[in-house]
Amino acid sequence: MALIEARSLGKSFGTQRAVDDLSFTVRPGSVTGFLGPNGSGKSTTMRLMLGLDRGQGVTTFDGLTFAELDHPVRHVGALLEAKPFHPTRTARNHLRMLAAPNGITDRRVDEVIEMVGLAGVRGGRPGKFSLGMGQRLGIAAALLGDPHTLILDEPSNGLDPQGITWLRNLLKFLAAQGRSVFVSSHLLQEMGVLADELVVIGRGRMLANGPVRDFVSHSGLGSVTVLTPDAATLGPALQALGATVTPDGDALVVRGATAEQIGDAAHAAGVRLHQLATRQATLEEAFLEATGLSEEFRGTQSGGAA
Amino acid sequence: MIDALRYEYVRLRTIRSTYWLIGLALVLQLVLALLIAWSLDRSTTFGGGDETFDILATIGGSTGAPLLMAYVVGLLGVFSTGHEYRHGMIRATLTAIPNRTHVFWAKVVSTAAVSAVTALLCVLIGLVGIVAFGLDLPSGTRFLEVSAGTVLYTALFALSGLAFAALVRNQTAAVALLMLVPSLFEFVVQSIVVIIKTNSDDPRGSGGVTTILKFLPYDAGSQMYVQSSIDGFVQRALGAEPFGAVGGGIVMGVFVAVLLGAAYALFLRRDA
Repeated sequence: MALIEARSLGKSFGTQRAVDDLSFTVRPGSVTGFLGPNGSGKSTTMRLMLGLDRGQGVTTFDGLTFAELDHPVRHVGALLEAKPFHPTRTARNHLRMLAAPNGITDRRVDEVIEMVGLAGVRGGRPGKFSLGMGQRLGIAAALLGDPHTLILDEPSNGLDPQGITWLRNLLKFLAAQGRSVFVSSHLLQEMGVLADELVVIGRGRMLANGPVRDFVSHSGLGSVTVLTPDAATLGPALQALGATVTPDGDALVVRGATAEQIGDAAHAAGVRLHQLATRQATLEEAFLEATGLSEEFRGTQSGGAA
Repeated sequence: MIDALRYEYVRLRTIRSTYWLIGLALVLQLVLALLIAWSLDRSTTFGGGDETFDILATIGGSTGAPLLMAYVVGLLGVFSTGHEYRHGMIRATLTAIPNRTHVFWAKVVSTAAVSAVTALLCVLIGLVGIVAFGLDLPSGTRFLEVSAGTVLYTALFALSGLAFAALVRNQTAAVALLMLVPSLFEFVVQSIVVIIKTNSDDPRGSGGVTTILKFLPYDAGSQMYVQSSIDGFVQRALGAEPFGAVGGGIVMGVFVAVLLGAAYALFLRRDA
């Protein structure tokens, strides 16, 4: 099972720096989510990792670059494009073509077609496939060589809810087998359920890298709701700790202090507590907080012309 | 390299354009060869001899008309790289075979082989026309010369299509280049040279601007199969002696080699 090590990846388009000195590690046995706003450089990073784009830095899979791998499809499965196939070459023949140079049998081709649920259309022309069916064919191509590493760019695009659940279970299953799974997605709720680790980038630069729970817990948007009959005493005591205290009806919403710190402060101040409820930030809140200043494309609320 | 050739083998076998382009080339050749053979058989002025095979094998190409099979089979060359970019296949291809050198040259080998075999079949169909109407069979030497010239020209023509597609990474533009450079661009250059030369002090003098005509790659290459009586007709009229079959073939070969070299260098450097 492969350890992916990306070191100092960089890429410019003209004067614009798309990926800037990006380094991270994807460990076997985990799903690592790759997050970033539109245009932040996720797809470019994935292409750099596979040597498809020319740029700086190096990515190794157990010490070897992608180009150095013998029969690479057997080591690294990749999904990089929506519908990367000729519209009239059948789904099965598309996979047979990718299998041929990697010594993969037609039997394995049929297996992955079954695995992704395209058995009924194996002889169909992909040009008539929906986006979701096209994604399934792309996932089949990535799984073709039974690889120890998967690099998937927005694999859930176009999948229906059942398809997303299927993909989540499949990726978790593959990671549980000890494989390395590196996957980008815009579906943050889905990523919160799927990923163990995160790589978050903005404008091509690393914003956060580590376990999902750490990323979420470090968000300033987490809060503790406190119910107390002595709010007038407790509020200033918490503010003295550096926390932000906002009255919310009978409760106080506290940011910047943990439940333990609040409990200790209340005890020290002789204040009674009736409720102490921790609310963690969601992955979406943490992501928006982390990438707030890194959006490449920003819309406006007003839609009408002046 | 073997892996990349395996990929090309399956790629060519599993796409419809391979079959309809080869089929179209063969059917057009058969129909037109039979029609021309019928026409020659009824002609009272046609002299027969080796010229019969020249005309039928090239469907009139030997008399200066465009070599039809080359234009049809040339599209195979365009599609071999054009499809990669048009349908976003190039990244899937390079994740299956990361060695770009192998990918590129496997396409060159497969395109050259398929176009050469198709051209050879077209030439043999020309023989069928001769046999069907009892016309004069060619001498062994002439058969080899015209067959080799036609096959070589068609293969080089298809490879130039491959190179155009790899250079511009746009299938439509590559088809336009393959169709227009030999038929329109070279014709325009010839016309300009004719205008300059006929308005000069020495309209029949050799050298000068007429030298350009010898280096028009597709026109030079056509000397590999065009009858010697017609070979370089325009050039001779303007006082320029054409290179002939071997020299013309070398000019076209060098042109295609330069195109392929540039396409290969860019393929290595560019993002996929």
